[in-house]
Amino acid sequence: MLIVLAGAIVPAIAQQVQLPGGSGNSTNSGSRPKVDETALRYFASQGDTRRLEAEIARLRALYPEWSPPADLFGPQTDTELERMWKLYADGKYSDVRSAIAARQAADPQWDPPADLLARLNEAEGRQRLINASDAQQWNTVLRIATEAPGLLTCANVDILWRVAEAFAKTDQTPRALDAYTYVLTNCNDTSERVATVQKAIPLLTDDEIQNLLKLERKDAQGKPEFAVLRDDLIRRRMGKAAENPEFTVPEADITRMEELSKQSTTAGDPLVLGWYLFRHDDAKRALEWFKLALDRKGGPKAAEGYVLALNSLGRALEAEPIAYEWRDSAPENNKAYLDVVISLLTADPPPVLDEIVLTRFSPVVMRDKYVPGAQALGWYAYNTGQIVTARSWFETALNWDPNDEPSAYGLALAYWRLKDGARLNALVRAWGTRSERIVALVDPAVRARLEARNAQSQITTYTDPLIAAAARLTPTPTLQPPPLGAPSATLGSNTQFQPVPGSTVTAYAPTSQFQPVPQFEGSSAQPAAQPVSYTEQTTYTAPPTPPRRRSVTRSVARTGSSVSESGGSAGAALARAWKLMELNRPIEAIPEFDYAIKYGQGRTAEDAAYGKSLAYMRKGMTNAAQAAALQAPQNPRRSLQLSADLLAQRAYEFYRDGRYVEAIISLDEHARLAPEQQDMMLLRAWCYYQLHDYQSAKRIFRALAAQGNVKANEGINAIAASTRQLRDAY
Amino acid sequence: MMRYLLAGVLLLACGVLQAMAQSQTLISQEAWATYMKQFVQDNGRVVDEANGGISHSEGQGYGMLLAFLAGDRSNFERIWSFTRTELLIRDDGLAAWRWDPNSNPHVTDVNAASDGDLLIAYALARAGRTWGIQGYTDSATRIARAIGHKLVVQNGSRLVLLPGATGFASSDRKDGPILNLSYWIFETFPVMAQLAPETDWAALAKSGLELLTIAKLGPARLPPDWISAPDNAPVTVADGFPPVFGYNSLRISLYLLRAGIADAELQESFRRSWLTENGGSPAIVDIPTGRVLTRLTDPGYRMLGAVLACALNATPIPQDLRRFEPTLYYPSTLYLLGWALVAEKYPRCL
Repeated sequence: MLIVLAGAIVPAIAQQVQLPGGSGNSTNSGSRPKVDETALRYFASQGDTRRLEAEIARLRALYPEWSPPADLFGPQTDTELERMWKLYADGKYSDVRSAIAARQAADPQWDPPADLLARLNEAEGRQRLINASDAQQWNTVLRIATEAPGLLTCANVDILWRVAEAFAKTDQTPRALDAYTYVLTNCNDTSERVATVQKAIPLLTDDEIQNLLKLERKDAQGKPEFAVLRDDLIRRRMGKAAENPEFTVPEADITRMEELSKQSTTAGDPLVLGWYLFRHDDAKRALEWFKLALDRKGGPKAAEGYVLALNSLGRALEAEPIAYEWRDSAPENNKAYLDVVISLLTADPPPVLDEIVLTRFSPVVMRDKYVPGAQALGWYAYNTGQIVTARSWFETALNWDPNDEPSAYGLALAYWRLKDGARLNALVRAWGTRSERIVALVDPAVRARLEARNAQSQITTYTDPLIAAAARLTPTPTLQPPPLGAPSATLGSNTQFQPVPGSTVTAYAPTSQFQPVPQFEGSSAQPAAQPVSYTEQTTYTAPPTPPRRRSVTRSVARTGSSVSESGGSAGAALARAWKLMELNRPIEAIPEFDYAIKYGQGRTAEDAAYGKSLAYMRKGMTNAAQAAALQAPQNPRRSLQLSADLLAQRAYEFYRDGRYVEAIISLDEHARLAPEQQDMMLLRAWCYYQLHDYQSAKRIFRALAAQGNVKANEGINAIAASTRQLRDAY
Repeated sequence: MMRYLLAGVLLLACGVLQAMAQSQTLISQEAWATYMKQFVQDNGRVVDEANGGISHSEGQGYGMLLAFLAGDRSNFERIWSFTRTELLIRDDGLAAWRWDPNSNPHVTDVNAASDGDLLIAYALARAGRTWGIQGYTDSATRIARAIGHKLVVQNGSRLVLLPGATGFASSDRKDGPILNLSYWIFETFPVMAQLAPETDWAALAKSGLELLTIAKLGPARLPPDWISAPDNAPVTVADGFPPVFGYNSLRISLYLLRAGIADAELQESFRRSWLTENGGSPAIVDIPTGRVLTRLTDPGYRMLGAVLACALNATPIPQDLRRFEPTLYYPSTLYLLGWALVAEKYPRCL
């Protein structure tokens, strides 16, 4: 249907191209036609010479042999019709319709002049087309344009723009390009010509715009008319690349935007520049432009950029007050605020935080029931030796999300430190099937197995900085526990926290008491320059556990402070990547993850590798899962839950990426959810093969071959070949 | 039960065919001129002044239907001109429902409202036939097809009329479909069936009557304005809407009578609430408690009670309701629709 429509439009435009110079409608010019002169007479009677002349020109173009009647300025004989023309000229189309209907009702023989009807149809069609275009009803726009091709002239350049936009919005870009080309070829008003390209810029590709720019003319002074648009094109390129870090712009564009940003007095240009630089890992330069944008009242987006840039430069402490000020302006600002404080709380070593930072953070966490926030408060309390407070926050986090393994792990650690064996055992029972590292706190056998696996998968450097940090105690202002109403069973019995009557912010006063740690040898007031050995603990590190909630949470929980750990931009890239994942933009997340893999260390890199595989999976699954995603877009949590299938796919992805250790980890996780089938075992064997663990590989291949698996023989042969090569090389 | 429902549908068809043959002077020139002056602007916009002076597809449809019933071709064309130009802009051929003079663009919600579309198509169809204007019939056919295609949907065992193009279906809401039984303008369905026979309008009428019998909720046993009607589950008050028998549902009684469905059982809860308990006035009733929230004494609303009393008991229309006194757009519209019905079907009450 659209193709038919489009087919009709272009001849219509072509027809208009001929109209001004040509003989008009040749079928009508042969015999002496009956020319409708009512409009002519009306304009004459009104002394409207401009319209009169236009009408004479129009009729002459249509009927070359026609000449204006001699009695043009004589009295009108049909006063009713005269009134209709007057209403038409006044734009009162409904009144004209009403008058025509009234006359037809009274005189069934009477027909309105065809010219009046045509003009009325056109005028109403024009209004209807504008209404449809405003309401983004593109097919209606195209239908009306097809029915009233007379609208598509330079005199109605706005209509041409709207038709072009309708083509672009209905995936008919070539037709849109035709329409813009028509305007630039035939219409002469310079400001309309410039506006035409401006209208086209958001709708067409750079190449298509370049084609339009070829139609540029020079003004009387020889100045190219589209010069002013080059800056718009730079803005557009940079804006696009700011959204999607896969794109970059030439350095000249950046220089020009810097000039423009300095010249202008508005926030728009510096904001685009800031986001571009920030998304291309130049937080330092970005910061300067975000600051300018913020000074020019650039609003929440400027504040968000400024905060993120500071945070990414490791200046979270400076970012916090601004982040706090803007936190309620937009969801992104709230998120930026939470992230900033979380990176402060989980920094290693824990910084000395002004009390205000903590007292204003916890109400926001409580209000939003923000699990990563509660968890970060837990780690901060834990790392600063306030184990009872830590316990409360972990409990709170776990109450909000009972499936949050990191919070459960934190709680388990707190119980363990508090020697609360009963609760620890209860927690271990609840999480026994889901978290080996929790079980490892009470079960030496599991601990040994984890250690062995870590050794095998060569990630022994993988230590939990939060556990390491737990051994270091830094005197800091004490944390407030969750305010009253927080679902914490132990709070009430805790004499450390005294409710403050009448407090509006929180029901609990900050305690000046410092909580000593039972196991700690020595005074709590003494900073532990020398980490008291929790050496057993540091070996409890577990392979990555499947996240059971939002990815962003996970990144926080497992990476701790991205800033301190990875020296800035890799951590920032990872945070951006998770954010993009949260926004369901996995393709854009991939380069961010790549960056974090390349420049990040330890957990940042691992997290990024994991994230990257997730992004690929999501990309692969988007189409199939689209219906489901549409049904429950509010629940990103569920979409990340790793089923056995996803884990299997992840293992394949890792294998394909050459990340064999991670592939084995995925296979381990998969094996916990479902019995390992032959294809999975085969994959596992190939992983060992790639890691040159030929012994393990051979064992599996042989077992499979014994069961009649033909493909396993390939593995056995490959091992034979490789080991021979090795021998040959020596 | 089923026999009575089928009888109702047949009755409905007969009623409308009869109406089609009627001459078009059911609303006096004087009353119609008053209405035009009060509620219709020169550009053909029907103004709902009680709602901030906005217009909507329902109001335009009512205006066209009243113009037809008053035999006023000129103003019918006027209102249609505005309707077509300003509201009939949706890609699917339905009308956008909300037009606000204080916004630019004026269309502030491009969603459709099925009662508006039904009224517009119905008025066009009747005007097209009676006045012999093919253009009206063509437009009516296009809208009727669009309604059938877009707003009439099979939901499990039931064919239902969605209140709008988006937001109400079972695919839009867990408790969907959300329905408004006062959007089922029964007198229009046989006409729609002639225009768009590919849709089973008789089945739609049947499920509407069935829903009316089961949607009598609360102690007052009145149909709520907005119901949730999932397949194979009880009908309930729709979540997020006021749980009332309100300004929407009070039209149902009149719509049934206008469609020739004078069935006493369907009208019983209206009769009890209006004629027995509230002295002839309809009332806004809280569904959960059955409590009267507001008694509606505007002549337009009292006319609904008077028409019902006339239809059920041949009670004459009270003297103070014999003359059209315009108040607000909505009750005034209902008044004229009620009057036209009495003039046509129950002249004995006048």
